[in-house]
Amino acid sequence: MSFPSQDRRADEKLGRILGRVGSVRTRLNSLALQHAIFYTLALAIAGGAAVYAGAFLLSPLAFMVGTPALVIVAAIGIASAVGAAWRMRASAVRAAAIADDRAELKGRLSTIVALANHQTRGSLWSYLLEDAIGYQDQFAAARIERRRVSRAIYPLAGAIVLAALAIPISKIKHAPRITPGSGQDDLTVDLDDLHLRPADPGDESGMEVTADAATMRRLGDRLAREGAAGDEAGGNSLNHLVNRARDMAEHLQNKLTGQQTASKQRLNLRLADAGGDQDQNEIHRAPETQKNRHSDVAGQFKQDQPKSNREIDLPSEDDSRQPNSEPSPGGNDESGAEANSGEDSPANQDNSATDRRIQQSGQNAGNGGATHGIGADPDSLFGAPAVSKLGSEGFEIAIEARPVDHGAKGAGHAYVAPKVRAPLSLNQEPDEPVARAAVPAEDRTTIRRVFER
Amino acid sequence: MSDVQVETPTVADFARTFRRIQAEIHKLIIGHEQAVEELLSALFAGGHVLIEGVPGTGKTTLVKTLGLALNLSFNRIQFTVDLMPADITGTRVILSGDDGRREFSFQPGPVFCHILLGDEINRATPKTQSALLEAMAELQVTVSGTTYRLKPPYFVMATLNPIEMEGTYPLPEAQLDRFLFKVRLNYPGEGELTRIISSTTGPEEAGIEAVFHATEAAERIEALKRLVREVMVAPAMEIYAARLVRTTQPQNSRFVTDEARAVHDEMVNRYVMFGSSPRGAQALILGAKVRALLDGRANIAREDIEHVAVAALAHRIMLNYAALSDGIDAAQIVERVIKSVRAGKP
Repeated sequence: MSFPSQDRRADEKLGRILGRVGSVRTRLNSLALQHAIFYTLALAIAGGAAVYAGAFLLSPLAFMVGTPALVIVAAIGIASAVGAAWRMRASAVRAAAIADDRAELKGRLSTIVALANHQTRGSLWSYLLEDAIGYQDQFAAARIERRRVSRAIYPLAGAIVLAALAIPISKIKHAPRITPGSGQDDLTVDLDDLHLRPADPGDESGMEVTADAATMRRLGDRLAREGAAGDEAGGNSLNHLVNRARDMAEHLQNKLTGQQTASKQRLNLRLADAGGDQDQNEIHRAPETQKNRHSDVAGQFKQDQPKSNREIDLPSEDDSRQPNSEPSPGGNDESGAEANSGEDSPANQDNSATDRRIQQSGQNAGNGGATHGIGADPDSLFGAPAVSKLGSEGFEIAIEARPVDHGAKGAGHAYVAPKVRAPLSLNQEPDEPVARAAVPAEDRTTIRRVFER
Repeated sequence: MSDVQVETPTVADFARTFRRIQAEIHKLIIGHEQAVEELLSALFAGGHVLIEGVPGTGKTTLVKTLGLALNLSFNRIQFTVDLMPADITGTRVILSGDDGRREFSFQPGPVFCHILLGDEINRATPKTQSALLEAMAELQVTVSGTTYRLKPPYFVMATLNPIEMEGTYPLPEAQLDRFLFKVRLNYPGEGELTRIISSTTGPEEAGIEAVFHATEAAERIEALKRLVREVMVAPAMEIYAARLVRTTQPQNSRFVTDEARAVHDEMVNRYVMFGSSPRGAQALILGAKVRALLDGRANIAREDIEHVAVAALAHRIMLNYAALSDGIDAAQIVERVIKSVRAGKP
């Protein structure tokens, strides 16, 4: 039998013990909450920094694959962190059990908390309270859990450092991309190696291509072939989806990197030759300083600078002279040498002799292209060039061309695959330049006027 | 029950008395500290003990010493193959009165005492062994339709000789289950053996001093047993004990209906034929309560349960032939179960 005063004292002791257990519980729950918040922030910041850096460092395709993967990993991590924090939360019984374990109280607090609300507690209840209160210093919240701040602060700090590092990294390293006004050197791309596709409806991000009618026709044919091949392969819709995803990734990259997507790039193309049987077309993207010199070389595809987006790229006066001059080996060599010098010859010097010969022959063909391509086009020969049908239909070709970095020497030059030509047999004779038809005298003035203009 | 009134013991009284009894026993028994502690724990928890040990390890001496230290009535039954149940419980015999009349009178058997030693219990037939069942479980004996109460405290200690198995009758599972603990007595170490030699071959015999007076011994022990029952158990500890017992039961047992158990152990599934009964959980908690009082606590802890787990559960686990062939014993199973449950604790 117990007296009321004994019961009151026991209740006071019980209240003191429960209060201490409550403060332990509060601290544990605070740490659990911090765990969830800090890890979520750390993952969000690190993920954002990685996406931001990836926008600068990765190609659109890699960015398109990497970003969703990163987002998924971050989402899983956040869910895991929240789940762990949820498991870390402490009820009163669990807080008492943790305090028992850490203070080596052998279940005293757990028993008290568990039996505190029971009506019948037994004759040893007051002994248990007295026994437990003797250890009250050992189960103070500060001794059970010293930390006020969760260890998850370290990942958060690491994520912030990572985010801070992403800014200089993004400034240092840029992905080589065709951007308007980027001052990129010549870009020579085999048309057969290009992946061409029509711009998506309403897509403002592609590169606008302008060219003379013949070039556009060839590009159109090629595009039609690619489209037909895609249809035959049954992968048209898949390609379409992939392209759209890539465009979206690029759009996101541009937004993140702050690059202007509104100013549409403009690529002016020229055929490398006039004959449709030539299998190599080239795209040259010349800097402003070399514009005139490269425009001498017929058959190069040149990209205009943004400020000259609306300019029509026409041959210069030298161009007008060259078509009239008969193609001679010396002249060809000279123009080829010019082309080589314009294309940063150190890169080409590394190529083998065979490659050099192929390049030269390509330049020869380019000269021929100038005469037989643009010069022979009646639309551009006589009178003002008619507006191309394809161009009038708003035809757009998105071209993704990427220069291959050959190191310090050949920077900006794309790799041109060497062509191997078998030696002629005894029954074969080398190709002779086709005799050109004489231009009627009354037309020469017109032609000269056209080229001068 | 006598009318002797004893004051309610405190936790400190319990520990002090326990240690004193231990000390008296160890005057004669060299070594076997854990066995003695388990023996006394079973006594104060209100259970009975099965002592397994090779010959010459002091089984009988231990029990006799306990009886002397407690100052309680003590009987010994040497179980043999021709021992009959009536030889244990007692029987009705015809006695002649002073007036010459003859009438049946019940002559109590050796079970009517406070401390009973059943020596080499596995040498008697199962029928005779089962005669102890009612006495151990119900503290009563029924002879010829008449039930006779046994005086508390009632404490049965049975010994088993594990190496001479020829001509023996293994104890029925039901009887094994009625022993709270199974205590194992191993060969003493060299130092202990030296002390045994010097203490038992000299001219002087160690004198055992009774801890209690004969008049109040039973009451004092009963009061201490009641104190053990007062020790508080948190629900988490009950769950832990229950989980230990459930984990000793193999998953493929047809007697296990609850398949959604928290902990599974592959070793149990492989080697155990039948796991512990619910009496095992009771034994765990009662033994843990004694341990808690000895530690000065009024509540049991996980460590208390684990400390008595082997003694409380090992003899309740039936192993299969795979365990015998692989040399696995029940104590190993219990230790493995403790590890599994501890690792999988919520």
